[in-house]
Amino acid sequence: MSMTLKALLKSPWVFHLSTGSCNNCDIEVLDCLTPRFDVERFGILLAGSIRHSDVLLVTGSCNRMSVERLKKLYDQVPKPCLVVGIGTCAGSRGVFIDSYNCPVPLDHIIPVDVYIPGCPPKPEAIIAGVVKLIQKVGNG
Amino acid sequence: MTREEVIADLQSRFGDDIVELVDKSHNRVYMEINPRAITWVGTYIFRDLHARFNIASATDMPHHMEILYHFTIEDIDLMVNVRVKLPKDAPKIHSLASAIWALDWIEREMHELLGIEFIGHPDPRRLLLPDSWPEGVYPLRQDYREWDKTAVRDRGV
Repeated sequence: MSMTLKALLKSPWVFHLSTGSCNNCDIEVLDCLTPRFDVERFGILLAGSIRHSDVLLVTGSCNRMSVERLKKLYDQVPKPCLVVGIGTCAGSRGVFIDSYNCPVPLDHIIPVDVYIPGCPPKPEAIIAGVVKLIQKVGNG
Repeated sequence: MTREEVIADLQSRFGDDIVELVDKSHNRVYMEINPRAITWVGTYIFRDLHARFNIASATDMPHHMEILYHFTIEDIDLMVNVRVKLPKDAPKIHSLASAIWALDWIEREMHELLGIEFIGHPDPRRLLLPDSWPEGVYPLRQDYREWDKTAVRDRGV
């Protein structure tokens, strides 16, 4: 495991990006960050800028307008970075699979490391997903 | 003005342009009007009756395009829904955006999603669809078919 990746796992800074979700996943992400679930005790901190972050949290079904922004943002993340797809929309586009505005799924656009299914996933599920990701990367 | 006075006022003022006026319930009136009258009817309800413009909604119906303009007169708790029916082959109507500023974006959205042309709109650019979207393809029409050959429509399992 590279030194940067090892350092990243100690305290992953996350950047939250909504690619056209209904905002319910975003609310659950917000729940994770606020005191009741408080992921900061695991060292997970919300970064204000994509250039400061290690983990990209993507919610939503990737519509045509936001896909361009998603690519631009992914280019700006310092590598190595991890990508978490939160919610059914980010995983498989959910009910929007036949939508005119959602032509390709998230993993055809950028590589995704972990999917957290649910509509929306509970904050517990999001925390479990991120912990599993850290374990997976930590074990090589 | 009370509710009954507003309805009587609309009927006397725009009698020729009103196709149908349905007194639906105690707080809702549907008024179908001639499409050419939308500028003065809409402006009158907004300016003189002091209604709040909520939203406009367009639908691709089996035989026509329909636009509903939703106005609320809050003092008397009355919702006036102005309905216009446009022909499907060339849906065209005068824009209200220069008179009621809130209609700017919703008219742009109705134009790009349903292909309704708003004559005299101050800023007829695209609002929601990307620039790569082809001209003349309107996704919320009933006869819309997929044009994008690169689209993936399976879940990969």
